[in-house]
Amino acid sequence: MNLLTSSVLVTLLMLTFPIMMTSTTMYANKSYPQYVKTATSYAFMISLIPTMMFLHLGQDTMISNWHWITIQTMKLSLSFKLDYFSMIFMPVALFVTWSIMEFSMWYMHSDPNINRFFKYLLLFLITMMILVTANNMFQLFIGWEGVGIMSFLLIGWWYGRTDANTAALQAILYNRIGDVGLILAMAWFLMNLNTWDLQQIFMTNNENLTIPLAGLLLAATGKSAQFGLHPWLPSAMEGPTPVSALLHSSTMVVAGVFLLIRFHPLMEYNKTIQTITLCLGAITTLFTTICALTQNDIKKIVAFSTSSQLGLMMVTIGINQPYLAFLHICTHAFFKAMLFMCSGSIIHSLNDEQDIRKMGGLFKALPFTTTSLIVGSLALTGMPFLTGFYSKDLIIETANTSCTNAWALLLTLVATSMTAAYSTRIMFFALLGQPRFNPIITINENNPLLINSIKRLLFGSIFAGFLISHNLTPTTTPQMTMPHYLKMMAIAVTILGFILALELNLTMQSLKFKYPTNLFKFSSMLGYFPTIIHRLMTKTNLLMSQKSASTLLDMIWLEKILPKSISHFQMKSSMIISSQKGLIKLYFMSFMLTLALSLLTLNFHE
Amino acid sequence: MSVVYINIFLAFTLSFMGLLIYRSHLMSSLLCLEGMMLSLFIMMTVTILANHFTLASMTPIILLVFAACEAALGLSLLVMISSTYGTDYVQNLNLLQC
Repeated sequence: MNLLTSSVLVTLLMLTFPIMMTSTTMYANKSYPQYVKTATSYAFMISLIPTMMFLHLGQDTMISNWHWITIQTMKLSLSFKLDYFSMIFMPVALFVTWSIMEFSMWYMHSDPNINRFFKYLLLFLITMMILVTANNMFQLFIGWEGVGIMSFLLIGWWYGRTDANTAALQAILYNRIGDVGLILAMAWFLMNLNTWDLQQIFMTNNENLTIPLAGLLLAATGKSAQFGLHPWLPSAMEGPTPVSALLHSSTMVVAGVFLLIRFHPLMEYNKTIQTITLCLGAITTLFTTICALTQNDIKKIVAFSTSSQLGLMMVTIGINQPYLAFLHICTHAFFKAMLFMCSGSIIHSLNDEQDIRKMGGLFKALPFTTTSLIVGSLALTGMPFLTGFYSKDLIIETANTSCTNAWALLLTLVATSMTAAYSTRIMFFALLGQPRFNPIITINENNPLLINSIKRLLFGSIFAGFLISHNLTPTTTPQMTMPHYLKMMAIAVTILGFILALELNLTMQSLKFKYPTNLFKFSSMLGYFPTIIHRLMTKTNLLMSQKSASTLLDMIWLEKILPKSISHFQMKSSMIISSQKGLIKLYFMSFMLTLALSLLTLNFHE
Repeated sequence: MSVVYINIFLAFTLSFMGLLIYRSHLMSSLLCLEGMMLSLFIMMTVTILANHFTLASMTPIILLVFAACEAALGLSLLVMISSTYGTDYVQNLNLLQC
């Protein structure tokens, strides 16, 4: 028991050492990336100790270190909550980050600022850890904003490119809208429950918690790219592939879902928020899957896939299964990061080609990447007994057998089949068939950094689901019996999606491409959402503000109505009426003479 | 009117003369206007203090406020004229146009 708290603190402290080395000569060294990677791997191994202790003991722990500030009746201290969620997420996140750092040692090899890149990655990891282990909402907010800032810095890594800057700014803006929800929740908790500590929030029995929960839902919508605040996630693919793998697939975007999972004791009794979450998640997952079907950039397809899985996690929260959603977060991290790393390997091998219409025939040229891409896609779609199966299939089974919104359920099932469809599309276009790229000799996957990192995540994608779900303490009883058609539902729609996509792809190879239909245009333009929202709303706002503030108030009311009209009127009338000639001195002189004469001659006071 | 005020009264009359008789610059009449205001202020203040007329102690301040407003107005007229003609010679003001 003694070792648990100190191991956690050692883990967190170990991650900060490379940051503290920034001012020394180590930072200018060529071996700094290696140092950072080793620090992360050691942190992972040490973090396994408290996790296994937690699994054995089953006790939640809380570390409360340093009394920060006391504002009248609220006491803020640096406190870490080591419960089920943070204890299991920490080693998963550290493992995935370790692999991604090793991958980016290969991917960003020729970048002159590679040390800064690693520092940013590590800063992101630290803020994510702060978010995950936070026990009070202030610390959570620090982690929340921290991951937002690091996301901005990392998406705009190649800041010479306009699109990258726009995408980074877009990420910040959409996250900010979500942050308003988080601040609303924090303010509500402070005013009504007088605390920001999670323990006290969960203790009080409050009936009407809709307002803060709605705020938290808005925060999750912003951070986890749910429908309405989702365009930043595909745009965030402007960043380097390791950034996409770390931030926008496994770690940062699950922060929103993690927030909702943290507050699940409050959400259990609020049916309204659960229904809203369910419907929002269902819409998100279907919409983003539709958009993913017609994209041509391999990273964008995987980004939409991430968005769709996030919608699925929201659906899980909506049916009141936070532990399943958390399991899906952990398993999803493995195969999604691996999918991104495989696409990074393909992109680098084809000399930075990201369009799947220009790939092909990599089945024989990049065998290891092909293997891991196929395994990752199968894990994503929920192939039985791979990683994704343990979480995704359970989610769909639970949704099928629970008393929930049938429409949301239908959307989720359709999205599941489409997941298989676009996975087939990636595999078909990138790997199979004849090569459609220029004959180049940069196709090389022989680097041990690349191979080892993908291999680790490959093992994770195959075994992690089994290992994690069999070692966890069971929390809610899963539904054991159900009609056989419900049990087979998930696998059936997935196989349907696979077969349909394969048939369509094979058939379309020899047909001529006609003009795109309306449905194709809808899917390809991402549902026209960015086009409408990014242009229409801002133009309306600016136009209205210009008309009301500048034109109406300033020009008309303040300038024209009284001052200018008075002067105009006076000038016109004086020009018409008066007959003076402007002989001022004469007028003054006559005035003075009259005054003097009258004072001298008329002495009335005597 | 006691004899002690004759000094201030003389100052007022002198400024008044200066306001009405000036040669070429409009600025000199504005300066004399200020002098008039100053002498009025001093006269009012001394009367109030000597007669312990405490209820009217506010009046010099109000006089100062209005004097400031009128000085601003006079200066804006000067600036208008000066921007049209370049100088403030009074012989320029023969057209009724700004």
